[in-house]
Amino acid sequence: MKYVNSYQMFIVYSSILILLVVLGLALSFGSYKVTFIDYLYSDMSKVQESVFTKIRFPRVLLSAFVGASLATSGACLQGLFRNPLADPGLIGVSAGAALGATSFIVLGSNFIQGSVTNPYLLPLSSICGSAFVISALFFITRGFGKEGITYLLLAGIAVNAFSGVGIGILTYISDDSELRGLTFWTMGSFGGATISMIGPALLFIIFSFIWIIKEARKLDILQLGESEAYRLGIDIKKLRFSVIVSSAIIVGISVSLSGMIGFVGLVVPHLARILGGVNHSFLLPSSALMGAILMVLADLFARTMIKPAELPVGLITSAIGSPFFLWLIFRIRKS
Amino acid sequence: MTIEVNRISYGINNFSILRDVSLEIKGGEILSIIGPNGSGKSTLMKVLAGDIIPDSGSVIINGKNLNDIEISSRAIVRSMMSQTQNIVYDFDVREIIEMGWLESSIDQANGHFENTIKLISNECGIDHLLKRKFNSLSGGEQRMVHFARTLLQSNGLQKNLQKYIFFDEPTANLDIKRELNILNVIRKKAKEGYGIFVVLHDLNLAYNFSDRIILIKDGKISKMGDPNDVFDDEILSEVYEVPVYFDKDIGRIKYY
Repeated sequence: MKYVNSYQMFIVYSSILILLVVLGLALSFGSYKVTFIDYLYSDMSKVQESVFTKIRFPRVLLSAFVGASLATSGACLQGLFRNPLADPGLIGVSAGAALGATSFIVLGSNFIQGSVTNPYLLPLSSICGSAFVISALFFITRGFGKEGITYLLLAGIAVNAFSGVGIGILTYISDDSELRGLTFWTMGSFGGATISMIGPALLFIIFSFIWIIKEARKLDILQLGESEAYRLGIDIKKLRFSVIVSSAIIVGISVSLSGMIGFVGLVVPHLARILGGVNHSFLLPSSALMGAILMVLADLFARTMIKPAELPVGLITSAIGSPFFLWLIFRIRKS
Repeated sequence: MTIEVNRISYGINNFSILRDVSLEIKGGEILSIIGPNGSGKSTLMKVLAGDIIPDSGSVIINGKNLNDIEISSRAIVRSMMSQTQNIVYDFDVREIIEMGWLESSIDQANGHFENTIKLISNECGIDHLLKRKFNSLSGGEQRMVHFARTLLQSNGLQKNLQKYIFFDEPTANLDIKRELNILNVIRKKAKEGYGIFVVLHDLNLAYNFSDRIILIKDGKISKMGDPNDVFDDEILSEVYEVPVYFDKDIGRIKYY
């Protein structure tokens, strides 16, 4: 990592360490009593083993990946739009993914059995939804200059509303079994994750991470403005394509697996910037790590607070995120 | 080795901005372009940089058509300083300058990189600002930082390549010390062999600073050549539509 200074490396390594500790904790607590230590060192009953490997492990793994995805895509979109308020939830990218997934569950069930658990086509339709929204927003907010910050959010309201309408109509026209699939999916959260369901998705997320981290330096230079970046030798169209597609993949997959979880993409990159700096070579990996930490903790909290019942994890992230959002607006106004 | 501009025309919605413009930028020479507002100066520079593709005509850089040069190679052969937009995130001054570094890696081991940054920031009088946040600087200081970034971009290792630097009103809104600073560095760059192309607004500056001058109006070149030929009372008065008197002895124009 040539563009990352030693202090930033320290933060990245610390984040890795904290993530490992948090993962250990998350694997050790839950409604059913079985811990990470048990798994490693002692004989477990059949039930314990299956709770650990089939339920808890996939769930923790998924929450880590979704947290990393949302935070990284937030950082990427904030870079691409040159807008500190770009969050996949706020600007409608997640809603686009949700509409894509819903369309597939309802309309696709006519052609494919079990559309709601299809490990390839469900994420793919979400990806199409989010890719469409990002591209559309990009062209809508072009040429607004400094006011683009506001217009992006306004456009986000419209996209969110439009997706709401679409999902509403699809819900209305769906038959009984489609509706069941839809409800099952909407409840989302990280529960019910199985390795066979999330496996292919996680591979795609990893692939997108690698793709986007390679573009980190270009995202830095893009902050000078598009024409400046071009004059410094950056193929803007190619960069835009990379960022849009990879963000769409990571948001689309996350939404298709766990529903819409707000504010992670907003809070985490800002936290990373405050802690270590604004260059994307640092920002993208550290956002991924911190996003994973935050999400694993939030999910741990969600399922142990009132066990054996659980809170929706989106409730927790929004509880943290919304005051932060207000603080951010306040800060932007001051500068 | 030159930049050869052949019969460029460009327009938007039937309104022509550049009409049949031809010129040549040579290494070691400062070529300035002057003209009234809206005469097409900045547009011409954008065509040269490749930001805009003209409706007709061609730009040949060192014998190769601009359209056939890869975007990354264009950045090596020409650098450009223009009026920039604000930067949203809080980069350090040093990080902004480093963005001009085109080598694919920062080779900190051999010290070449460190030395170059030091040398250039010293040259631009901003070495004391390197650790500051870019957004906390004044407008003039920010401009000097962009100037340094442009110099770093043109400072790559390809020694045998004829390179060019474009400046779009580099001294606008600068105090006289910084103005002189920028002008001296540009002069020095020309002496080192770079081909320099500058959009200027200040006529006195253009006369005293350029090797050749292009006078442009309504997208058409009115006069091109030695400053003493271009600075003719009649031509200037006609182009700027106000009576202009040029005093050759002190090299200054009078228009009020």
